[in-house]
Amino acid sequence: MNEMGAAGRRFARGNALEAANLAPEAAAHAQRQRLALADAKARFQKQNWVGTVALFAVAALFPVLPGVEGWMAYTVALVIIYVIATQGVAVLTGYTGLVTVGHGGFLAIGAYTSALLTKHYHTELITGLIAGGLMSAFIGCLLGLIFLRLSGAFMAIGTLGFAFFVGTIVNNVNLFEGREGISLPKNRILIWEIGDVGFYYVALAVFALTTLLVYCLVRSGVGRALMALRDAEKAAESCGINRVFYRTLAFSLSAFITGLAGVLNGHIVRFIASEVYADIWYSVDFLVAAIVGGSSFLMGPLLGGIFVALLPFFLEELRELAFILKGVALILVLMFAPAGLAEVFGRPWRAWRRNKLERVRNDGARVSRASLDKLTKLEAR
Amino acid sequence: MASHFRCENVMVRFGGVVACNDVSLDVEEGKIVGVIGPNGAGKTTLFNVLSRFQDFSEGKLFYREQRIDRFRPHQMVRLGLARTFQNINLFVEQSVLSNILIGSHCLIGNPLASLFWLPGARRTEQELTERAIETAALLHLERDLDTVVKHLPYGHQKRVELARALASRPKIILLDEPVAGCNDEESAELEKIVRRINRELGITVVLVEHDMSMVMSVCDYIYVLNFGANLARGTPAEIQSNPDVINAYLGKEE
Ligand SMILES: Nc1ncnc2c1ncn2[C@@H]1O[C@H](COP(=O)(O)OP(=O)(O)OP(=O)(O)O)[C@@H](O)[C@H]1O
Ligand SMILES: [Mg+2]
Repeated sequence: MNEMGAAGRRFARGNALEAANLAPEAAAHAQRQRLALADAKARFQKQNWVGTVALFAVAALFPVLPGVEGWMAYTVALVIIYVIATQGVAVLTGYTGLVTVGHGGFLAIGAYTSALLTKHYHTELITGLIAGGLMSAFIGCLLGLIFLRLSGAFMAIGTLGFAFFVGTIVNNVNLFEGREGISLPKNRILIWEIGDVGFYYVALAVFALTTLLVYCLVRSGVGRALMALRDAEKAAESCGINRVFYRTLAFSLSAFITGLAGVLNGHIVRFIASEVYADIWYSVDFLVAAIVGGSSFLMGPLLGGIFVALLPFFLEELRELAFILKGVALILVLMFAPAGLAEVFGRPWRAWRRNKLERVRNDGARVSRASLDKLTKLEAR
Repeated sequence: MASHFRCENVMVRFGGVVACNDVSLDVEEGKIVGVIGPNGAGKTTLFNVLSRFQDFSEGKLFYREQRIDRFRPHQMVRLGLARTFQNINLFVEQSVLSNILIGSHCLIGNPLASLFWLPGARRTEQELTERAIETAALLHLERDLDTVVKHLPYGHQKRVELARALASRPKIILLDEPVAGCNDEESAELEKIVRRINRELGITVVLVEHDMSMVMSVCDYIYVLNFGANLARGTPAEIQSNPDVINAYLGKEE
């Protein structure tokens, strides 16, 4: 270590300006350009935030718009639940690269956990959400450990088996009251009873939280680790990423999110029966939604969830047709836009940003006031 | 100087093939150590053993006298070891910056704090990004930071892999044929970079390379493997004049 030169120590301390001396030939220009680029990226991020907040603001106003009735709020809440469940699938399938055909199982775990608590202990919705989410995350963690060595098609089959397993349990263990089902009383938040519109806001709030969670995940070092494991497992391990830990974490988070959707799904209809939850159609629907929407884009679950949830609604009498249309949509997407609708719709947007960045890069001298201040401060140090 | 990293009598068999047969290697702190040998001599297998991607049936591994036989690959990074792969193994769909950031994974601190952006996480991210940019600058990649790796030419990709390995701030780095497939100009550039990594950053380097001019000029001393076994050890001059080596290896080529 004592042989380490001054530059090495600088590198080890990681001071931006000092270490820039390591490559003095490029440093001065690079620093200005870097600040300009960081500036542009920060602006993009701000735009993302504004867009997202606007979207949620519109959604929050929806029930009070003139002409909107309670059943509409109910229907949109159902769609939101689909979208949340799909976000869970996206965490595992999109960002971690593990295809799951079993998330209906986590939906069931969330729904039953909260339903049983409500029935036997008269808990209210927030308690139910926390308990259902955590129970689902716990089972997800176990499943992640059990499936540690599976990937690709084997993972798909394994998770499918998990959905069947959960289905068999809720069908046959008396506690879950099989096809008779569990009826729930009117929903409560803390001590207040809520109706359709109230429930809509609960669903929207959960959706906002899960969106924030996924957003934080994707932008964090943890999200990077998951995507690294997805893209090149060996290389990821050579970067110090603990495969066992991160896979299990991905499973837990994914199960947590879909578990929350499960709690909402049970409480919105206030009836939970194995007829619904033992079916693997939920699992298939969520996977289709994730793939059609684009599982590694934040907007993906939204687009895919809306598509899958609303399709039967618009077809009304022709519900059977929905299965066929979903299949057709899946095939079309896999053939022509394998990254999903979000990628297709986002193309012009991303191209615009890329151009903008390119322009900033070629014209690195134009730095904003704030960045210049930052630069002067750094140089003064 | 003290031993930085050492293996003793390592055995690796793949069915009937003995890829490492009683191989020993002692890497001294702060040196550039070459490992050469004909194709199939077991160099990559030895690297896989050292970075713990490959289990071995017999032998011992030491990192600064600590036994590490049962470490997992990700633990080696925490110890201070980084590696590159013979066949480029990058996250090709991601940008150069992302690749380097992934390389600095062991510096993100508590993963849950990072996930939930607890206080400090933002700062850590900023620091890692700044360091990633510095590392890129060290390897002359600063213009490619936002480029998706698969769009980069081969020589650049080799450097991205090196940058990714450096991002973990290793104390020792294993390079498996860093200039293979590069043209003369790129090779000369990489040779300079390897020297800088060693001299300026104080990182111990273990180098597998078929480019003899590079090996002979940068290495402090060299191990020669042949058919999975140690054949010789010595300074470049000693190796070049060692009759066994000339027979087994250099002689065959010339
Ligand atoms: N996973 C494996 N399964 C079976 N045999 C293997 C495996 N990996 C390596 N081998 C064999 O072990 C021997 C040593 O291979 P290794 O890749 O370590 O050689 P090398 O010295 O790196 O060669 P090169 O210079 O061509 O890279 C070869 O005979 C190879 O065929
Ligand atoms: Mg090799």
